[in-house]
Amino acid sequence: MVYVAGVDIGSAFSKAVVMAGNKIIAYQVKPSGGNYRLTAEQVMEEALTKAKLSLKDIDYTVATGYGAANVSFSRGAASDISCLARGVYYLFPTARTAIDIGGQFTRVFKLDNRGRATAFLLSEKCAAGSGRFLQVIAKVLQIDLKDIGELSLKSRNRVDFNTGCAVFAESEAVSRIAEGTAKEDILAGLHRTLAAKVQTMVERLGIEPDCALVGGGAKDIGLVRSIEESLACSLLVPEEPQIVAALGAASIAGEKAAAIKTSH
Amino acid sequence: MKSQYFAGVDIGSTMTKVVIMNQAMLASVIGPTGPEHRKLANRVMEEALAKANLPFDDITYVVATGYGRINVPFADKQITEISCHARGVSYLLPDARMVIDIGGQDCKGIKLNNGRVMDFVMNDKCAAGTGRFLEVTAEGLGVKLEDMGRLSLEAKSKVEIGSTCTVFAAQEVVAKLSEGVPLPDIIAGLHEAIAARIHSMVGRLRIEKEVALTGGGAKNIGLVKALEAKLGFPVLLPPEPLLTGAIGAALLGRDIVKQAAESGTPLPRSERHLQEATLFTQ
Repeated sequence: MVYVAGVDIGSAFSKAVVMAGNKIIAYQVKPSGGNYRLTAEQVMEEALTKAKLSLKDIDYTVATGYGAANVSFSRGAASDISCLARGVYYLFPTARTAIDIGGQFTRVFKLDNRGRATAFLLSEKCAAGSGRFLQVIAKVLQIDLKDIGELSLKSRNRVDFNTGCAVFAESEAVSRIAEGTAKEDILAGLHRTLAAKVQTMVERLGIEPDCALVGGGAKDIGLVRSIEESLACSLLVPEEPQIVAALGAASIAGEKAAAIKTSH
Repeated sequence: MKSQYFAGVDIGSTMTKVVIMNQAMLASVIGPTGPEHRKLANRVMEEALAKANLPFDDITYVVATGYGRINVPFADKQITEISCHARGVSYLLPDARMVIDIGGQDCKGIKLNNGRVMDFVMNDKCAAGTGRFLEVTAEGLGVKLEDMGRLSLEAKSKVEIGSTCTVFAAQEVVAKLSEGVPLPDIIAGLHEAIAARIHSMVGRLRIEKEVALTGGGAKNIGLVKALEAKLGFPVLLPPEPLLTGAIGAALLGRDIVKQAAESGTPLPRSERHLQEATLFTQ
């Protein structure tokens, strides 16, 4: 059996996926923290423990993400976009457009019928439209990031925000709280603002169905619904949206391992 | 004839400013607009009235301006901050042909001709290039906002800030600090970044001497120096840079009253009450 792994060191979270052949056998997600090198080793170790394997059993590891250079045990690295595209293709072969809402950036890309990214857009200059925006707001509202989605769905009277800027939205949210607006109505308004940013990016690239939503942002059901409403289409959302790039990296590692095998 | 009094209320995103004038300034108060205070702009007004030793009903005309001017129940009229800043600066600094106002949550460039607004540019969409950029990054650095200017003057060199977004810049400066970059060099870099953004925005209007600098940003000597370096000449500073909008508002109120008296038309007054305001449309 060929064992391969993909490790994605993101700005907020690190992920590792272990595959046996073309099948996922274990994965792990943990906060990236300040020491990427150590986190890379730990997240891999934990995934391997779940898979009941050790590092020497792995034939090929591909690293990706913001901190890919810190994955000392990988044999190669691949770009975030190519890994994301490959991961989306593995999960949803019919997807032709994908949105990745990460901790720091939002990416929108198109992919072909072989899982290759053909065009992409990246929001790197501005925190609006990224997971960072949600983190900032969760902190202000003093609620857990993971509870935002469910809570926002309870909104009956969504407030409209005057701003798309994460910094200004933070102060606007603070004023809203001071004036007694319900948290769920504030959250629903912020999801709307975020969705509008994402919509602008998607429209610039041109949407082609099916459309997938991945990354940490896809764990927020309120945001998912809001983007679906903005784009007027339903989105394919994986069960574990955070591991898609790591999965793609593992899938690329599988291809490399197979190529090495046939060449021997 | 009973003497006339005019009040200007400038509810900014960060500070609320009130001035009371007749022919000259009688009282001025600057109070915070923090989240809880936003609706309490009336408190700042009460304080100014106490200072001027006047009851609210003696004020002939009240003009509200600024970010929070929308729902001020104690104002006769709302006027945009562009008009108020232009009026205030023309009164205080008659030589000014341009105003750069660096507020807590926006930044404006206004071209003036004989006190009239010829053109303006404004950024209120993005925190970069506004006072908020310095507020957020100062917090990240653990430095008081009012100390930023003085500290930056101690810089031996300027560090380059790569992030445009305030959220990312705050992260970047903390990383720089942990790398051991001296604090003054980082702050000087922040001033350089914000000055570059402001200069490029106001550059869309043709920059003409003299340039007046107003708003909280004008109280930061490091930012003033960084902007002067970009402009290539010194700027004019009003005695209290935070008050130009409120002074302009009071003066525009006086103009309205004068005009009404001259033309014999009734004064366009509101049913006003000195009570809490809200920032949001109801």
